Amino acid sequence: MIKNYLKIAWRNLKRNKGYALLNMAGLAMGMASALLILLWVNDELAYDKFHANYDRLYQFYENQTYDGKTFTFAAMPGPFAPAAKQEIPEIEYITRTDWGTRHHFSFGDKNIYEWGLFADPDFLKMFSFKVLKGDTSKFLKDPTSLVITDKMAERFFGKDDPIGKTLKVNSDRLFTVMGVVQQPPVNSTIEFSWLASFKIYEGRNQWLRNWGNNGIQTYAQLHENADPVAVNRKLKDFISNKDSSTIAKPFLFGMKDWRLRSEFEDGKQTGGGRIEHVRLFSVIALLIIIIACINFMNLATARSEQRAREVGVRKVMGADRFSLVRQFFGESMVMSFAAVILAGFIVWLALPGFNKLVEKTIEFDFSNPVIWAGLPGIAILCGVLAGSYPSLYLSSFNPITVFRGMRAPRGSAVSVIRKGLVVVQFVISIGFIISTVVIYNQIKHVMNRQLGYSKDNVMIIPLRGGMNEHFTAIRNDLLATGVVDNAAKSNSRVISLNSSSGDFRWNGKDPSKQLLITLEWVSPEYISTMRMQLAAGRDFYPDATRDSSNVIINETLARIIGKPNVVGEKLYRESGEELTVVGVVKDFVYGNLYKEPEPLVLFCQPSAVNSLLVRLKDGQDVPKSTAAVESVIKKHAPAYPFEFRFMDEDFNNRFKTEMLTRELSKWFAILTIIISCLGLFGLAAYTAERRTREIGIRKVLGASVTNMVVLLSKDFLQLVALASILAFPLSYWLMHNWLDDYAYRINIEWWVFVLAGGLAMLIALLTVSFQAIKAALMNPVKSLRTE
Amino acid sequence: MIKIKDLEKIYRTEEVETVALNKLSLEVKEGEFVAVMGPSGCGKSTLLNILGLLDDPDGGSFMFNNIEVAHFNERKRADLRKHNIGFVFQSFNLIDELTVFENVELPLIYTGVKSAERKKRVEEVLDKMQIMHRRNHYPQQLSGGQQQRVAVARAVVNRPKLILADEPTGNLDSSNGNEVMQLLTDLNEQGTTIVMVTHSEHDARYSHRIIRMLDGQTVLENIMV
Repeated sequence: MIKNYLKIAWRNLKRNKGYALLNMAGLAMGMASALLILLWVNDELAYDKFHANYDRLYQFYENQTYDGKTFTFAAMPGPFAPAAKQEIPEIEYITRTDWGTRHHFSFGDKNIYEWGLFADPDFLKMFSFKVLKGDTSKFLKDPTSLVITDKMAERFFGKDDPIGKTLKVNSDRLFTVMGVVQQPPVNSTIEFSWLASFKIYEGRNQWLRNWGNNGIQTYAQLHENADPVAVNRKLKDFISNKDSSTIAKPFLFGMKDWRLRSEFEDGKQTGGGRIEHVRLFSVIALLIIIIACINFMNLATARSEQRAREVGVRKVMGADRFSLVRQFFGESMVMSFAAVILAGFIVWLALPGFNKLVEKTIEFDFSNPVIWAGLPGIAILCGVLAGSYPSLYLSSFNPITVFRGMRAPRGSAVSVIRKGLVVVQFVISIGFIISTVVIYNQIKHVMNRQLGYSKDNVMIIPLRGGMNEHFTAIRNDLLATGVVDNAAKSNSRVISLNSSSGDFRWNGKDPSKQLLITLEWVSPEYISTMRMQLAAGRDFYPDATRDSSNVIINETLARIIGKPNVVGEKLYRESGEELTVVGVVKDFVYGNLYKEPEPLVLFCQPSAVNSLLVRLKDGQDVPKSTAAVESVIKKHAPAYPFEFRFMDEDFNNRFKTEMLTRELSKWFAILTIIISCLGLFGLAAYTAERRTREIGIRKVLGASVTNMVVLLSKDFLQLVALASILAFPLSYWLMHNWLDDYAYRINIEWWVFVLAGGLAMLIALLTVSFQAIKAALMNPVKSLRTE
Repeated sequence: MIKIKDLEKIYRTEEVETVALNKLSLEVKEGEFVAVMGPSGCGKSTLLNILGLLDDPDGGSFMFNNIEVAHFNERKRADLRKHNIGFVFQSFNLIDELTVFENVELPLIYTGVKSAERKKRVEEVLDKMQIMHRRNHYPQQLSGGQQQRVAVARAVVNRPKLILADEPTGNLDSSNGNEVMQLLTDLNEQGTTIVMVTHSEHDARYSHRIIRMLDGQTVLENIMV
């Protein structure tokens, strides 16, 4: 019996190649996009799971409350880890790390920057980074030794044994390779190419001894059966007990939430974060599958007239309803499995591009559950989803009715359902179009935001070797090239200022209120190089020493201090430091680009900096200018490969998530429109076929081709119009919610809806009118004879 | 074999009520060959549908092999039908996607006959109908006469007790028509009961008895000699 079904299914496909192709193409496209999304979702869910003690690994976070508002940080004070390990018995292992740095390594003629971490010896005991070579018990203890990854070892030593080899770091210190670990997998939150003893970092950063300075990351593994709630109770006042002037309340943040649920609001985990994207994309995958299955259902029921006689005959021959349901299910399964094979092929082809889009390195690998379980799973899901309604409908035909008219009953219910399904497809498609446009506009809106400085033509060059000390000479050489407008030094990259402190006071400040203020250390040329504007007071003097205890604040802080003339005001810090405000810089946007600027203090301390900011003259040839800058830098730091980024690239990178959302939304819109139109195309074809006789008669009676096209397209366009009307409020609501996350945002304009609705109508019209014109041009004599 | 008493069938639409069968009574004995004649709309096809258990009556009694089947549900009717009744239609009603062999095989599949047995029986009957050489062709590749012979082969492959033929020669020329009528006569001589609806007096003469219908009732019975 199954053989008979498969046979019929196969011959049906062969006989109706066009129909089969439309159906398969739509279904396969839907399946492929769902599979790609599932691959992404699976990759996100698999983050950090390779750690054997995944459930027992934590990072320490801390809450700090300022002015009633609680902020959550990952930064911890230096003495915390050793003290916690001694005093909290539940902690099995604990390690500190810095935030990761790129250092310059050289071996022979090889010069490469490598990213790595300073860590305590427990690091490799708690995290499951596979050790390939070396004695684990000695790792990270000796401050002149390194553990490197196999990939880094290959870069420097090729096939040679790296153990015992010496690498020169930052062209002065020598480190011996003591161990090799496997490169962390791509879905690891913690990334590194090398690990070095935390003692080195500790030795260089005296502030680490202070309980009030939060500046490093700390991780722990708890003992089996240890209760994290009990640990959190012990942690709560751990830091304030050591230093009563601190306000940090540490707590454990479980590894299972690092990747997907890292959002905190007012000191509490919201449960949000990337998981929202995971959920959203899963829903979208399902929507696309549904759209594709709707095509299948509609095309199957639309051509039911062709199958009606077969159903009648089979029933007369003794088939009961159940065996017919099974038969039609069988057919949709055959179609679905054929489509999934095609989908697998599409995924395989699209994966490189998709990886580039979402910045992943997912491979088409049959050990991946999304591939080995997802492919057949999706096939079965689609087979059932797409086959359910047609099989129930087709198997319901009454043989007597069928034989009498040789036609399926023109049930109004079925055509209503068919129309309803088309509307559903277009509601989703139009929704995606609207979302794409809104997201596009929002990104454009923020990117065009007046920043308060000019981000164009600024090179950011990391200060290496003696570059910091020789800044004045470098700057003079740069200006002498003729392509450089100005140059300055800063600690951060302007767009993101990372340091902040709550210990500022001034006369008249409410002592009960703590205020978190952003800090930045710059050279005197900073404001002029960045083309920022002063609102009051003066810029720093060219001779930095004259301003060593003077600061420039931003307008926001000036407003908070709230005095008519803030220039000359004194600021006091916990350490006893006394600072004088000499100027007020106009607010510029940094950090969260969607929010208003936070209060800021600029220190004139050219030694405490990391980056060289070089502003090129406007309108110059960029490659030539950068080459000129490179030759100057090479002259002063010959041992280091030249590295730089443009500030506007840096700026654009800040929109990665939004850009990704935009790109995905765009592709979803294109896909859903294509799939929906494939369905519409098929439906139009069948409508035209069914109405061949009517068209023939109308033509004989004198109807024009235009009349015919209108006649045949009208019904479909009405459906798309209805879909628009339904999609408008729905997508307005969705997009309004999305925009709600951004303080600096656009309003949703009415033309977006008109555009999306109009676009959908136009595409639908083109799709349908092709069939309509074809039908209308048919010779009426021929079409009348077919009856 | 068939005993019908006061059978009623009424078709209703919103505006009209059409009486298709009006208290019709009829008996067909095992081994008989009965022709039903009458003008269009007299209820012939309705009668045949009810006899074929494709439709249920609105009133009256229908005994099939001494079992009251008038109120059987769909599943029971399908079951009785597939084991006992073969159909031959005016327009053949072969499935275009299946070959001659597969079309004839279909009823055997639905009655659950094993594959080897099916092959044997299909070949047997195709041989008898002299269309063995066409076994792998599709219906559209055959002439009308050949198609109807396939349809007859399909009707008898399950060895039904009763064959219902609805104008079996209606779409055929006279020589092909005669061939089909001869086939039916042969089957009847081998013991199969046949009820045939026809417009053709010529075809009706092959039967033992002609029942003439008008307005949902039998009006006359001719016994053929």
